[in-house]
Amino acid sequence: MRGMALTSFVLVALSGSLAASESGEEFFEKRVRPMLHEQCEKCHGPEKQKGGLRVDSRAALLKGGDTGPALVPGDADGSLLLKAVRHLDPDLKMPPAKEGPKLSDAVIGDLAAWVKAGAVFPAASAGVVAKHWAFEPVTNPPVPLPLSDEVKTTVDAFVLAKLRAAGVKIAPAADKRTLIRRATYDLTGLPPTPEEVDAFIADASPDAYAKLVERLLASPAYGERWGRKWLDVVRYADSAGDNSDYPAPNAWRYRNYVINAFNQDMPYDQFLREQLAGDLLAAGLPPEKAAEHIVATGYLAVTRRFGGSKVDADFYLSIEDTIDTVGKSVVGLTIACARCHNHKYDPITARDFYGLYGIFSSTRFSFPGNEEAQRPRDLVPISGNVAELKAFEAEFSKLDAEVKRVQTELNEKRKAFAASVPVKLASGDIPNGGKQDFGVGDLAEPESLVRMKAGEMLQLTINPKMDYGADSTQIEFEIAESGGTRTWSLSRDVVEHFADPHDESRFGAWCFLDATAAPALFTRLERDAGKHAGLHVRRGSAEFPLVEAYTSTTPIKIVNASLAPRSIIVHPAPKGDVAVAWECPADGAFTIKGRVIDIDPGGGDGIAWKLERRPGISTALNAALDATKLRDAATKKRDEFAAKKPAVDMAYAVAEGKPANARVHKRGEPKELGDEVPRKNIDLFGGQTISDPASSGRLDLARWFTDAKNPLTARVMANRIWLGHFGRGIVATPNDFGTRGAPPTHPELLDHLATKFVESGWSVKAMHRLIMLSAAYQRSSAPATDGAPSADYARFDRRRLDAEQIRDTLLDLSGELDRVPGAGHPFPAENTWGFTQHNPFKAVYDSSKRSVYLMNQRIQRHPFLALFDGADTNMSTPVRNISTVPTQALFFLNNPFFHARSEALAKRMLSLSDDTQRIAFAYRLCLQRAPSEAEIKRAKNLVAAYHAELASGAATASQSVEQRTLSSWSALARVLLGSNELLYLD
Amino acid sequence: MSCNACSRRGFLRSFVAGSALMPGIMSQLLADEDPLAPKQPHFPAKAKRVIFLFMTGGVSHVDTFDPKPQLFADHGKEVKADHPEIQNRPGYERIFLKKPQWEFAKHGQCGTEVSTLFPFVAEQVDDIALIRSMNTSHSNHFNATLGMHTGSFTFARPSMGAWVSYGLGSENRNLPSFMVIAPRMTYAGAQVWASDFLPAEHQGTHVLPGGEPIANVARRAASTRLQEIELAAAQEMNAEHLAMRAGAGGDPLLTARMRSFQTAFGMQTEAPEAFDLAKESDATLALYGLKRGQTSGFGWQCLMARRLAERGVRFVELIDTGSSENWDSHGDMMDHARLAKNVDQPIAGLLKDLKARGMLDDTLVVWTSEFGRTPFNNKADAKGREHHSWAFSSWLAGGGVKRGIAYGESDEHGMRVARDGVHVHDFHATILHLMGMDHKRLTYRHSGRDYRLTDVHGDVVKAILA
Repeated sequence: MRGMALTSFVLVALSGSLAASESGEEFFEKRVRPMLHEQCEKCHGPEKQKGGLRVDSRAALLKGGDTGPALVPGDADGSLLLKAVRHLDPDLKMPPAKEGPKLSDAVIGDLAAWVKAGAVFPAASAGVVAKHWAFEPVTNPPVPLPLSDEVKTTVDAFVLAKLRAAGVKIAPAADKRTLIRRATYDLTGLPPTPEEVDAFIADASPDAYAKLVERLLASPAYGERWGRKWLDVVRYADSAGDNSDYPAPNAWRYRNYVINAFNQDMPYDQFLREQLAGDLLAAGLPPEKAAEHIVATGYLAVTRRFGGSKVDADFYLSIEDTIDTVGKSVVGLTIACARCHNHKYDPITARDFYGLYGIFSSTRFSFPGNEEAQRPRDLVPISGNVAELKAFEAEFSKLDAEVKRVQTELNEKRKAFAASVPVKLASGDIPNGGKQDFGVGDLAEPESLVRMKAGEMLQLTINPKMDYGADSTQIEFEIAESGGTRTWSLSRDVVEHFADPHDESRFGAWCFLDATAAPALFTRLERDAGKHAGLHVRRGSAEFPLVEAYTSTTPIKIVNASLAPRSIIVHPAPKGDVAVAWECPADGAFTIKGRVIDIDPGGGDGIAWKLERRPGISTALNAALDATKLRDAATKKRDEFAAKKPAVDMAYAVAEGKPANARVHKRGEPKELGDEVPRKNIDLFGGQTISDPASSGRLDLARWFTDAKNPLTARVMANRIWLGHFGRGIVATPNDFGTRGAPPTHPELLDHLATKFVESGWSVKAMHRLIMLSAAYQRSSAPATDGAPSADYARFDRRRLDAEQIRDTLLDLSGELDRVPGAGHPFPAENTWGFTQHNPFKAVYDSSKRSVYLMNQRIQRHPFLALFDGADTNMSTPVRNISTVPTQALFFLNNPFFHARSEALAKRMLSLSDDTQRIAFAYRLCLQRAPSEAEIKRAKNLVAAYHAELASGAATASQSVEQRTLSSWSALARVLLGSNELLYLD
Repeated sequence: MSCNACSRRGFLRSFVAGSALMPGIMSQLLADEDPLAPKQPHFPAKAKRVIFLFMTGGVSHVDTFDPKPQLFADHGKEVKADHPEIQNRPGYERIFLKKPQWEFAKHGQCGTEVSTLFPFVAEQVDDIALIRSMNTSHSNHFNATLGMHTGSFTFARPSMGAWVSYGLGSENRNLPSFMVIAPRMTYAGAQVWASDFLPAEHQGTHVLPGGEPIANVARRAASTRLQEIELAAAQEMNAEHLAMRAGAGGDPLLTARMRSFQTAFGMQTEAPEAFDLAKESDATLALYGLKRGQTSGFGWQCLMARRLAERGVRFVELIDTGSSENWDSHGDMMDHARLAKNVDQPIAGLLKDLKARGMLDDTLVVWTSEFGRTPFNNKADAKGREHHSWAFSSWLAGGGVKRGIAYGESDEHGMRVARDGVHVHDFHATILHLMGMDHKRLTYRHSGRDYRLTDVHGDVVKAILA
């Protein structure tokens, strides 16, 4: 029924647009085949043949099922197929009621018309679809015009031919300042320096611009810019993408590999082969080269992870994601559409999909860790002594096992301790902000006199009740020996020593316990917590529960809690108790006095308390303490050994796994397995099976997809390069060259580029030259007075800088950009990872390096990159869709990062002595031009007006002149750094 | 600050008037055309905006809105179920029914039964269309939360709020069209309010309770006057740039960015004003269980939702808690008491307040969780309940929704849907319908396909439409 809804929608949409003259084939492909596929094939197709009938070929329909032939070409009324869908026979109504409603009259009408016209039914991979332009071999069309002033490279010949045919007026060439700005941003992502601008403008030689392009192509910044474009396409991220989003350790090496590959102008076909099968091409190479080849397969390893609660349970989705990305990035096809059924629009079958599936399921991917298995594995060593590492890991796992063993032992002892039966002496329940004395409760022993044996313990436990929060509780606790002279006072005995560096929270006879489950001592001490002098906190591994001593002599208020001088305060955990205990030093009778005070009246529902005597506790606790020491020693030994880990560089990469063919997942369900499919190329590219069944087949795949005769690989990349320069592709859907994608606006030009690309040895830089040296690229963005459509490249399309360009520019102009390439990220140490879907990994790391080196997560996008339309880390981003939203304007008004960069720029200005010089410096730096007289005057006016307002403003009148000066020039810096002139090309 | 400067359009107009811009550019600068301009729905509808209340973690239906006397009666009985949460799970070889821990009673004129966990909401049942036959496609938090927000249980897709914004635009260009008030991230992180492939204007703007609810909205300049000086200089520079680059017709890219400063300037005033509760009466604060000066908690979120709805924000989502410390009561169902107490009065307060202001007629309030909780556990005396995707309860109230009805039924134990199942896709289709949109026609072309919130699924639940 749900399928029906979409189908009828599609059909209605189509029927309005079809011409009466369409051929039988077209009619069938548009109106009949999709309907048969959607409505009938589930039960009468390759997977099921109810009633012995299939409807997915003409022959099958003619043969029919148990009730005879379904189709009589030319005779609609005589065809069982029509009888069934018209519901003429009560026993033969199709689709059956439980599957969906009766088909609409329009749909039945189409079906009848098709049968009457002879029931043309081309095979799926033939017919209209196979004639799609992008599946035809790349041609080498004749260049329509000779080189001339207007035709600077062959690119212009194709562009101009179309413009002339349309009679469109062409914009003049851009001026040199515009050109160097455009070219520098385009190839490096950074603005040109004033010196570079001057030199270029001064260079009157005819090849000045060509030299500029060469200089920029040779800059390391080129790879940082164009490598990022590839990283967009392969949905690069530094984390897994599943529910806990574990960091992907060493993924950065792949990122840097991409940057280097662009800088080296690595032949694109080789670049692809290394990414798909670098590990298999590494044999016999020198170690450094081999390492690079392995790192290259990070392309596959950075696949998205799904689920996360169970290892490998959802990996089939990661394989689908891999196939999807390989298909889109390399050959511009949406292959993954064939996971559940044959592709509806392109000649890609489910067999094709599972043929590729087997190749990737025979591949082992590095695993980043997930909720269940919280450590990475299957990283691939790329340098250093691997044997040494293995030995280390063996020894380490022994030490780790020992830690676990003693921890278990400790847990047992604690359980035994917790199981000892306490005697309740008193208990109580106090409301928010209330207090109670021990005696007020139901004290079991008369007159507060308690008999105790040495080693026994009195334990006062504080419980947070239902509503955890604001449960800071002050404890007063006094004990006196009956008939003796000894007294113990919690505050007197403990306050003085609380901040001493004890190992645990024990103070003479007193101790503090985390009573959440089995009691444990607190191990961490924080002095002057929250910068409050005299407030010292002890806690265990978690934030709560905790105990604190306030040792000052003046009371303070922290949020809502009022802390008395020289007091002891405990705070329970959300679901757990905290306890104050006193260990009895000798047999005797003791009087006990005490008070529990909720010192935080905010929120919550007060606290509950109980006072207990616990037999034999000291011994049990000591045993537990011994075990604690053992555990700590074992942990220390393990962690010290961990520091000796041999330096072996690892790659987040793939390796060969267990080679095996995959079976079709019926309807995409991995539990419903169909026929086995040999690992093979997609039929569209020849359908060959892999050459070595003992391999995954990735090497074959790499060769098939980079075959110079492949109709798509060169076209797709040529289109991406064109897109990178002009902001729009010749094919507007760069990841979809299939029948549903946009047709090329300049098909001959695209084929010309693809041909030149392969002829140049797949040199990306050669493509840049061909395109950038064209007149089309060098045109002004001035508007055409006759409103010529910009798609024709009559002028250059204005565009905003992208997220990375904006951030890099701000850092560059403020003089703070760190140009040293980035390496790994400061992730938390692996042995601390415990991310879960409830507490996933989330981090944002500050950096002054270029934005390509920022850490990119999947569960959250980097806030800056997200704000300015950075790439999607969850799926391939072929084009950055640039938005203009007020939250971006707020960034330029109020963001601390932006203000800091502006202030740094203002300081650069202020290092010059004269106002005019300062303004000229800033304009030349930011906008690559000198300011006009009027602009200098306006800038001075701004600074003066800002300064005057600061001097008179109530909030700022007390500022020093220096402060006001810096603030005023910072305002000017913000105006320049946030201006349209800076943020747009051109 | 002059009054002229207070008004965003005044701010722009005063600046434009003094410049030498061509008429075409001026009209473009003042144009109302932007991706968030209000759009007509597919058909007339009562609801103009949505307040979406999302309870993170999985609220137990059998303890809240779905009374099951038989579950009380059959407590401790062993049952068999091919349930996703017990498959291959050690210790879950056998499962036993577990009775609800709260009593149910009939409420209102309609007599809808609600448990004692929601005493305040129970008083509002005459305004509520309760659905007791909800079901979803996944029983993991991440997937189910993503599904409830985007219709996709696996892949990142546009959020429902983004779809509504895309379909209807915004009535207030000084505020975003889709705002999400969430103290912490829920499962699936920012994906739940992302616009994904829809234009970024439609993405949810995350509002954090506390000092700066919207990133960068707090004015850093020491005074408004200082900022005006700076902005006037900036706009003057941009105007000159525009005049030099653009022809008589202007340039939509450049003018859109200039306009965005106008909106941002307005947001600095409007957002803090929207977030300032000083003018709310004591009675109103009491309705939401708020103390004066309080700037967090679910009561604050609910009152903020009303204030944003009043100001024309199209879709306001409130997320209760985040990916931890939430309704995911595996350990002890008593946690539900604390969580319900936290949201019950605020939600009822929101409904009452909207009604008193006449806003409930054109505001759609939606309450849901990502799934329910199992009516069983692996021990009869287990304290908690597990994830349950087969049946749970959600409700709608307000514009275009029938009042005081309960729709659909789960079986005698609340295990499976017994009648009139409403899948998440149907839920989405119904919400879009109530906003005047046909879920099959609200499409966006991406990667060669027309995408919908409901993918290829979804049937409008006609029985709950007024």
